[in-house]
Amino acid sequence: MWKKKLYSSTPLSTILLRTSKIPKIHSPNSVSHKNITLLDPLLHTSASFYSSSSPFVEIEGVSFPTVGGIFFGGPTFHRENVNLFVKKKNCFYSESKSAKKLQCWNCDATADGATPFLVCQSCRSVQPVNHSIDYFQILGVERKYNIEVEKLEGKYKNWQKKLHPDLVHSKSQREREYAAEQSARVINAYRTLTDPLSRAIYILKLENVVVDEEERITDPELLAKIMELREAVEEAEGNQALNQIKAQIQDKMQYWCKSFEDAFLNKKYEDAIASIQRMTYYKRANEEIIKKL
Amino acid sequence: MLRHASKMILGQGLRSPPTRAVAVGAGTPRMYHERVVDHYNNPRNVGSFDKNDPNVGTGLVGAPACGDVMKLQIRVDDDTGKIVDACFKTFGCGSAIASSSVATEWVKGKQTEEVLTIKNTEIAKHLSLPPVKLHCSMLAEDAIKAAVKDYESKRAKSNASEEAAPVEKAADA
Repeated sequence: MWKKKLYSSTPLSTILLRTSKIPKIHSPNSVSHKNITLLDPLLHTSASFYSSSSPFVEIEGVSFPTVGGIFFGGPTFHRENVNLFVKKKNCFYSESKSAKKLQCWNCDATADGATPFLVCQSCRSVQPVNHSIDYFQILGVERKYNIEVEKLEGKYKNWQKKLHPDLVHSKSQREREYAAEQSARVINAYRTLTDPLSRAIYILKLENVVVDEEERITDPELLAKIMELREAVEEAEGNQALNQIKAQIQDKMQYWCKSFEDAFLNKKYEDAIASIQRMTYYKRANEEIIKKL
Repeated sequence: MLRHASKMILGQGLRSPPTRAVAVGAGTPRMYHERVVDHYNNPRNVGSFDKNDPNVGTGLVGAPACGDVMKLQIRVDDDTGKIVDACFKTFGCGSAIASSSVATEWVKGKQTEEVLTIKNTEIAKHLSLPPVKLHCSMLAEDAIKAAVKDYESKRAKSNASEEAAPVEKAADA
């Protein structure tokens, strides 16, 4: 019966009562006032989206669910998940306007913000690709260079269980297309983040520092060194010699990965790019060795 | 893809042609122009000059985004200023190798000032390089300029020391 009131403006207090999250508020007249006071502390607690803050915010000992770190309080009620959250249509603070209200195309449910919105959590339909969700978010890792690569595989496989086109035969054409795109994006995310060099280039890209594809350099020291290395690989006879060079390259790669990380953390993007350049050269040399082995 | 099969070509020792060359001849969509494949299979002017030779100018350039290195060397006749010989060594994709090979062919027999006017667009056109490989021809143009610059600076240094020597002799006398 409460469904009748679905789209009318139900006072916040009543809704919250139904979720049995807070004790009864007695003065309906002061509801709007209450809104402000309730939400004010939240304005302080939530500053960014997809932050590492927990999905719940505590006020006076009561947890309120948040969406992407921001609490939405309002008259409309989500149909299925009564306990989860409420969505506010007429927000009186500006932050919500910039909030991406990600909605399922199928059931109009909003994203819960806890997991990246690739699949709707209520009706399980695959969503279209949203490029604002970056690779780190998709694979559920912190946006930093030094991530734990072992963790990526599990998350990658979990996503493919939900997104892989082979698993959506029964669904609509539209959804199958979404599945193909999402699945491809997840694969790209996994590949980019597992390889240290592509991860470095990607994380710089997220900071709007783009490595120029066509840049040419004349640094004599670096080029002479690389030339020597490539010639050594070319002339090396036998696997032992090759493996020796390979080990040297591994050391160099580790050195420059560390160098990249330091440069990145200190926002020294010139140095970061220099590290990437060297990593590229060593990676090519390594590929040549592998071909020969 | 030639890129996968790209190796440094050493002197006259040719490797077996990449399987890609066969595919190109069989009428499948051409990805490398015949000339590029030709330069790859029949390399000309691969090698090295003594970089300390005063008549030799060495141009060493690189494209870090794709991990290419290109070395182009010229041997110049001091009296006439003519490039009498050229050689190259390139680690990179087929287009880069072909571009530097063409560059060595074109500079031979020309004056050092003249070769500075060789443009990458000419090289690219000659090899029918696709847009994505245009930077390879740019690399070759850079290599030519770098080689000439190196030769000129060597000459300038040796001229300076030649001038200094007679002055010293005069001072000693």
